[in-house]
Amino acid sequence: MSDDKKTYYSIDPEDKLYCSKCNELMVKADCAFAYLDNEFPVEMPVCPVCGLVYVPEDLAIGKVLSVEKVLEDK
Amino acid sequence: MKDHFKERSTRTYRQKQLFTKAELEERESVCVHEQPAFCTAACPLKLDAREFVRLVGIGDIKTARAMLERIAPFPYILASGCHSPCVSKCRLSEVSEGISIGALERYVMANAPAPAGKGLLKFKKKKKAAVFGGSLFALAVAGEMANKSYPTTFYVAESEAADIIRSCASFLSDGDMETETKRLLAMDIDIIYNSQLGASFIDSLKDKFDLVFASSELLGEKPDQITLINSSGIITDSGNNKEVIDSLFDARRAGITADRLAQSLDPKSSRGDEGPFESRLYTDLSEVIPSSQIAENEGYTKEEAIAEASRCIQCACTECMKACIYLREFKRHPRLLTREIYNNTGIIMGDHTLNRAMNSCSLCKQCSVTCPFGYDMADICQKARANMVDTDKLSLAVHEFALLDMLFSNSEAFLSMLPPDKENCEYVFFPGCQAGAVSPETIIKSYADLRERLTGDIALMLGCCGAIAHWAGRTELYDEMKDFIKSEMAKLNNPKIIAGCPTCRNTLSEYLDVPVIGIWDILSDLGLPENTEKASGKAVIQDACAARCDSETQDKIRDLTKKLGYTVSEPQNTKDRCSCCGYGGLVSYANRDMAKDMANDRLKGVSDELNLTYCMACSDRFKREGADSKHILELIYGTAKDGFADISEKRKNRLTLKQSLLSDVWGINVLDEVLDFELKISDEARIIMDDRMILESDIIAVMKDYHINKEAVYDVKTELSIATKRIGNVSFWVKFTSEGENAYNVVGAYSHRMTISKRGR
Repeated sequence: MSDDKKTYYSIDPEDKLYCSKCNELMVKADCAFAYLDNEFPVEMPVCPVCGLVYVPEDLAIGKVLSVEKVLEDK
Repeated sequence: MKDHFKERSTRTYRQKQLFTKAELEERESVCVHEQPAFCTAACPLKLDAREFVRLVGIGDIKTARAMLERIAPFPYILASGCHSPCVSKCRLSEVSEGISIGALERYVMANAPAPAGKGLLKFKKKKKAAVFGGSLFALAVAGEMANKSYPTTFYVAESEAADIIRSCASFLSDGDMETETKRLLAMDIDIIYNSQLGASFIDSLKDKFDLVFASSELLGEKPDQITLINSSGIITDSGNNKEVIDSLFDARRAGITADRLAQSLDPKSSRGDEGPFESRLYTDLSEVIPSSQIAENEGYTKEEAIAEASRCIQCACTECMKACIYLREFKRHPRLLTREIYNNTGIIMGDHTLNRAMNSCSLCKQCSVTCPFGYDMADICQKARANMVDTDKLSLAVHEFALLDMLFSNSEAFLSMLPPDKENCEYVFFPGCQAGAVSPETIIKSYADLRERLTGDIALMLGCCGAIAHWAGRTELYDEMKDFIKSEMAKLNNPKIIAGCPTCRNTLSEYLDVPVIGIWDILSDLGLPENTEKASGKAVIQDACAARCDSETQDKIRDLTKKLGYTVSEPQNTKDRCSCCGYGGLVSYANRDMAKDMANDRLKGVSDELNLTYCMACSDRFKREGADSKHILELIYGTAKDGFADISEKRKNRLTLKQSLLSDVWGINVLDEVLDFELKISDEARIIMDDRMILESDIIAVMKDYHINKEAVYDVKTELSIATKRIGNVSFWVKFTSEGENAYNVVGAYSHRMTISKRGR
């Protein structure tokens, strides 16, 4: 399991992201993107209290968009 | 009611045949792009003369020679002896003189290097062949059989090979004769010289062989004209040979019969297309400059051959592609594109690589006019989309924004009102969703003008005709839209419709049983309003693709343009031949670059002029490409504005229009929703939002949530907060700064369709 983990797409919160509601530093946690019945495990910044997951802009308009496009033609 | 916006699964495996095999073939056969050139069709041996001439033209005579070596066992005999039936069929002969293909063949055989080696190692076949006779047919068939690897015995009366060649092809030069003699000797043929050729001789030997060939003159009998088999089972020439090419063609056909017999198959069936035929190819000769053949004299020099070959116009039908930038960019003629789109719909698992092509057609039907045979690519693309929607193969992402926009037009922004204080009406004005989105003032003024000058009461309906659902291939949703408009029309007692948009007019008249006319029809009768400002100068008429083959509308628009004071100017592809601006068929949603290219293609050479349209989508698309474009109603009512509305303004315009009309015409006041916080959106953010198809209403929805629950991410480096909300199938993210508790400055926004959630634990 730990070996698999290394291949996950990972975004580090770099101690610069806070959850505004909980006033907590966001931490890296296991998450999953899902689209059209496909799931992709990733590690994303998450609020340890309320569980809010953050998707940065670069990721959304980059990798996420390109994967979406590939799946859309499946 | 079905949820049309539920995301599909890539794990559903459904398939539905787009067309039956017969229908597919029928549709494909309309396109003649793959038809052979006229010269090729005229050649009994099917030499691809167009390609041969092209190769000579570029100096590749080695490949050109290989083509001749492939079609005839004795290519020098072909080159020197053929009377060139291709030349009289060459389309150039209609305007000047046909290409001298025979002379080019002789040039190639004289100058190109002979192919080296013997080619691929072939295994001898088991069936044995015997050829009797000294005719050209016999010589050629012996060569054919040897080339096909049948053990071949050739019985001749002559005593040496050179004599055989001389008697068969006396027209050859001494040098060519020597070459062909060497070729005959090098072939794997057992030549029996000094044979006493005759019927009894053949009869005595024929049982020793599986396949027997003879000249028909030896037997005094004509064979079956398809299989060339005579009553004794001997394969002969047809007995009708007048020209060298006839003998070579008979040898080719005899070879096919031999192959069929050797495999114990019916020699009459599955022979493929044989012999010359009439090509259905279309070639436009309007721009051909007449030129004469170059005299052959002692044979062409290299320069002469290239010059002669360069006269060839390389006959091909590209009429649709010349006009349609979509076909040009996808580099496919309709026949091929149809086959590939058909195959695309049939893919159950894997990538649907033709989705983009299928969704990039504007469905404007220009091809059905430019194609000499009326190919309708639009119908195929629309049906393919509908097929893939049916089988859950077409992604919602491609057209979702447009479909939601249509639903917005027919819900929040929808308005259907009888004239004030009336129970009935004669007309209903249906300006169309794009007019409301792009130029709401034009609707206000045109409705007022109609009510003032047209006899009869006029109701108003602001909404979408449903064309968007049809273009997206969403058949069920289109049916729902049709039912909706029908029920709204029934509430108005089904008056006559005055459409403001040519697409609405076509769409509504398709499914409603009431007369539908265009506002241009009314204005053409009434004349321009008195207060219309007179103009001068030139106006380039950019026809609406929805008015294709509707000369009445096209003429009325030109007439109104002249009444406005303009002189009418026509762009390159005009009237019935006009292409689409890139809005039609939802191209601007599925393939933005293609839509831009479509708009720019129409503006080519006229982007600095005033481009006058009668479709609001056209003027919007042209303005987005930086051109001066105005809708004819904007010019008539003086409502033209510089710049174009972004996607949020297009929505807001429709809502404001509805509110203004309700208030001003019907005295009904609708209150705007008041936000309990202040929201500023920077200009940069607005540009990004337009580019990423994010609406102001999406931003408001995200910020309303944030204002209540304060859920957001704060980035200490950028000092920006980022709030999010999932709306339908899209997650929106808004980047902002706060000013106190009740004011937000939005500086950016982005979105994605994937969902994100925490995993495990």
